[in-house]
Amino acid sequence: MRHVIIGNGTAGIHAAETIRSLDSEASITIIAGETFPPYCRPMISLFLEGVVSRNQLRIRPPDYYDSLRITPLSGEWVRNIDVKLRRVMTDRGREVPFDRLLIASGADPRPTRAQGSHLKNVSFLRSESHVRDMMDALPYVKRVLVLGGGLVGFKAAYGFLRRKIPVTMLIRSSYPLSMQVDPFAGELLRRELRNNGLDVRVGVEAVAFEGGDRVRQVHLSDGSSLNCDLVVIGKGVTPAVSFVPADRIQMDLGILVNQRMETTEPGIYAAGDVAEHFDVARNTRWVNALWPVAVEQGRIAGANMAGRTVNYAGSLSRNVIRVFGLDVLTGGLVNPPREDGYEEIASYDAYRRRYRRLVFRDDIPVGLVMVNDIEQGGVFLSLLQQQRPVGGVRNRLLHPSFNVSQLLH
Amino acid sequence: MKEVIVHPERCVGCMQCMPACAVAHSGSGRLVSAVLELPQPRPRVHVGVGLYDEGFPNRCRHCDPAPCRLACLPGAIYRDPKTNTVLIDPERCINCASCAMACPFGVIRYHEERSALRGKTVAVKCDNCIGRQIQGLIPACVEACKVGALTFEERDRALKRRTNEVSRRISFSGEEPRIPGAEGFSLLHTLKRTQKEMNELRS
Amino acid sequence: MNITDTRQEARTITRDGLLMLARAEREHLNTVWDRHEAQQPHCGFCEMGLSCRICSMGPCRIDPFGEGPQLGVCGANADIIVARNLGRAIASGAASHSDHGRDLLEVLLKVGEGKAPGYEIRDPDKLRAIAAEYGVPTQNHDVLQTARELAHAMQEDYGTRKSGLQFLSRAPEKRRNLWEELGVTPRGIDRETSEMMHRTHMGVDNDWKSLLLQAMRNALSDGWGGSLIATEVSDILFGTPKPVQSHVNLGVLKADHVNVVVHGHNPVVSQMVLEACQSPDLLALARETGAQGINLVGLCCTGNELLMRQGIPMAGNHLMTELVLMTGAVEMMAVDYQCIMPSLGATASCYHTRMISTSDKARFPMMEHREFHPENAAEQARSLIREAVENYARRIPGKVYIPVEPVPMTAGFSVEAILDALGGAPTPLIEAIKAGKIRGAAGVVGCNNPKIKHDYGHVTLTRRLIERDILVVDTGCAAVANAKAGFKTQDALQWAGPGLKEVCGALNIPPVLHFGSCVDNVRILVLASALADALGVDISDLPLAGAAPEWYSEKALSIGLYFVASGVYTVVGPTPPVTGSMNVVKLLTEGLNDVVGACFAVEPDPEKAALLMAARIEDRRRKLGLTARSV
Repeated sequence: MRHVIIGNGTAGIHAAETIRSLDSEASITIIAGETFPPYCRPMISLFLEGVVSRNQLRIRPPDYYDSLRITPLSGEWVRNIDVKLRRVMTDRGREVPFDRLLIASGADPRPTRAQGSHLKNVSFLRSESHVRDMMDALPYVKRVLVLGGGLVGFKAAYGFLRRKIPVTMLIRSSYPLSMQVDPFAGELLRRELRNNGLDVRVGVEAVAFEGGDRVRQVHLSDGSSLNCDLVVIGKGVTPAVSFVPADRIQMDLGILVNQRMETTEPGIYAAGDVAEHFDVARNTRWVNALWPVAVEQGRIAGANMAGRTVNYAGSLSRNVIRVFGLDVLTGGLVNPPREDGYEEIASYDAYRRRYRRLVFRDDIPVGLVMVNDIEQGGVFLSLLQQQRPVGGVRNRLLHPSFNVSQLLH
Repeated sequence: MKEVIVHPERCVGCMQCMPACAVAHSGSGRLVSAVLELPQPRPRVHVGVGLYDEGFPNRCRHCDPAPCRLACLPGAIYRDPKTNTVLIDPERCINCASCAMACPFGVIRYHEERSALRGKTVAVKCDNCIGRQIQGLIPACVEACKVGALTFEERDRALKRRTNEVSRRISFSGEEPRIPGAEGFSLLHTLKRTQKEMNELRS
Repeated sequence: MNITDTRQEARTITRDGLLMLARAEREHLNTVWDRHEAQQPHCGFCEMGLSCRICSMGPCRIDPFGEGPQLGVCGANADIIVARNLGRAIASGAASHSDHGRDLLEVLLKVGEGKAPGYEIRDPDKLRAIAAEYGVPTQNHDVLQTARELAHAMQEDYGTRKSGLQFLSRAPEKRRNLWEELGVTPRGIDRETSEMMHRTHMGVDNDWKSLLLQAMRNALSDGWGGSLIATEVSDILFGTPKPVQSHVNLGVLKADHVNVVVHGHNPVVSQMVLEACQSPDLLALARETGAQGINLVGLCCTGNELLMRQGIPMAGNHLMTELVLMTGAVEMMAVDYQCIMPSLGATASCYHTRMISTSDKARFPMMEHREFHPENAAEQARSLIREAVENYARRIPGKVYIPVEPVPMTAGFSVEAILDALGGAPTPLIEAIKAGKIRGAAGVVGCNNPKIKHDYGHVTLTRRLIERDILVVDTGCAAVANAKAGFKTQDALQWAGPGLKEVCGALNIPPVLHFGSCVDNVRILVLASALADALGVDISDLPLAGAAPEWYSEKALSIGLYFVASGVYTVVGPTPPVTGSMNVVKLLTEGLNDVVGACFAVEPDPEKAALLMAARIEDRRRKLGLTARSV
């Protein structure tokens, strides 16, 4: 049995390990565009912050591929999949045949429409090489411009602020992380960042970058201009599917997969940021481009590829960040539509800066926001994942003393 | 292989497992000096309060597979197969709290710890008293518990005991107290439950 | 959207309580309820009475599941440990009441010696009647001499020389004989407490029944000793209560007055504070400061004392004591002893309120200490009230929050007042009971406890009892709860059953009679004795029952036990720490019936407690040959 895995991100790695643990004979090939060995992508912002070294990003030992008898094709990009002949073609002209294929190519950052984005020091924050380049520029950076208030932009801003470099962030909503937090928590975050040097501009876009050898200035949509030495584009990611034949493998935003992580083409699977599965909180198809989701999807895809039928109930979006004096943990559908059937409960202790909010669809919790006191977050996320009705315990959920024993009756 | 088994119906909420655990992970190993150490040792077992104000000793289950291990970004969480213990390496831990998101039981805490660098906050959870076990001792929480809510035994043995209890209860006619030999505790629990429900439901 | 509303509603049924709890939340002030939550889970060993800290070979605990240790280090088993713990609790409760009585005797004596300016004998008839009980000659003796000699005679009751307390003679003969047979006749008030402490020392009394008998004797030394002395001497010094109109709840505070709150127990302090609040020169000073006057209000038992005798309004009961400070309208709170939470000083420090401790026995964090003694009390009170008036200027107007209107009520039902209302003898009441219009009487007494929704226990129980034509008399925090619920007016007859409505309507009394403070529980014993004697039976034969639906204190345990020992079936709400020994539980809740003709029941649900009490009352009716209903 020949298994081919496109991408050496965490979905691909976990799929490979799962296949190997179930099948000691099969051949496994991983085709990876990045040359850096498997590493933890979410940690690159900590690398930027200066808290971890480049080496600490690696998540597998140097002899990883050898010890698992995986054939790595490093620095090589897949250009096409021939579904009928069951082989993939790479940019080096190589043809790699497969019996089972896993597309775990991840997602690419969305570009900006502003002019001059080719200038030096205008960059995405997606790979460790992006961070290495940013760190080379650090000595002369006086101000950083961040496009977007999502997770990437937010973490970029935080990393520079921790290095005591002023940051201006351009966001569309009135508070950062608008996809992850509700307005209340968002306001708490905005204030915390502002108190630590973040300049947030709402409803303003970058129109053009200017500079010679490197970016020096940005022109904004409100007519103003700003000096900046480094620009981070954090406008979200979109699944990397350019090489996927749309006529054979159905896609929406990402590659559609069933409960066994299989695409519309039997024997071809997808997992991780590139896959579009069912979101249990939103109750609809969704791409949750998150590390723990990629891990679980990779494992399940790998099990199914190795012949064990394992079903995946669906993914749940979730995030946790520590930002100066605030810890924020969120999950699920945090900002529900204004429809019948949705209820919310919340409590805020201003003295302790402790906020907790839950969104329900009928009796089932579907959304969670916690600011500080986040230790019980996993208990709530497990309720969201299970789509478990809470009944009378609802009154206890917001209380500091809530713990798993109160669910055991 | 012996492991710590929790029998929550016996917990009386005395919380003695907590200082015992903290002291077992202190430098001096004695309560009076442990409270003065910096960083102050903290328990890894957490007695939570239940719906009727009863106690519940919440500790790491050393799950297999362990959700915290799969979620850990820097790979700081690993398993010791000999004792089936899931451990956190304080050197590698980056305090990102991904494990807080993953643990469905809420047993991980974040604070300074004597095995980590001074001033570094790390994730901390039960380590099955692996240090004590090496010395031939039983986990500190089990030693402290005087009501048998925490035992250290083969899982099969504990399950067999429970099976026997259930069979006895079924073959017995008439009202049996919830836990044999503890009529008073049953009575107390029933009264506390009445009080709690009354306070919350009646106006 | 905020979930905290339902949380507050789970804490109290009172409107003023709810509103102040919301304020506490807004102002980040912690309350007794928050601290109670933070203590959860309580230690089960202690809840069951199975932990023992009496000696240094321990501390010990017994495993209720039979596998861990079953004996303390000394060899005591669960029965002994539970009984010893209960014994010490009774000793503490009895000692508290008895010390309260002792302080009143000191004032009585000093009045007799002319060394207590401001105090006087307000009920000389009662002085002479009680002197006669004690065999103190009254002819050719002036009031002051009688006072001295009576004080000395009563002080004898506290000591080692006697073989029985004087006031025991008020109990029916059958009851006294029963106590003699059981060996529980209290010999000396301090003596029984002292012996209880001795017996519970390691290696003394190690028989759980014997310990419980001493506990009974100790409790009786309170009920027929310390507390009864306290109540009677208070009547002598400050007047025997007569029916009086007043008001209750936080609305008794007045935004345009200097508000002074008294809290604690002993009227020797609160009465002097009252005198000062009524003195013309201090009232004039208040008006100069811009206030309309000086408004004295009470909390808990000392409030009840002033209410019963002078109609001074009540601001609240035990769980309201922190909340009253949060109105921001209290210039001064003066406290003496018992049931005063050590948290009050911290709460008051968030407002302009001056907190004053007055007893050498009772000091508190963040309170100023201004000691009262019989010699200086009047003067000390005056200087305190002067300072309270001066504090009015420091009130922060924006912070004043008195969100309710006060509820009217009738109080002042001493035994004398009731007999007066009945025409001089208990006959009309007895006739009403015989006819079945009134099925019987119930005493609803005791404290508050955050374990039971504040006032829910008292009010629900009382409502169910009066619905069943059972006359309710109440004391302490229970009496305040019932007054707040509107049970102490003629309007309350709408909730009474037809028989009770008729009788109370005719006598122009409410269906719930406010009997006073917690030491005034003895008034219930005195009335019960009078009824028993009138019918030629023992107290345990009467259609009576007692209840403490929300008790918390050791004093309440002592009261409960002296009631049961006197023959009154008593239902308690919160569970006492005895479940560690089913032997003790069975004796207290069943066995005592055969021993003293009454026992305890533990029932947190007041709906069910009402059924238990009604069943007991109907059962006693049946045994007396009266008409009985099934419950």
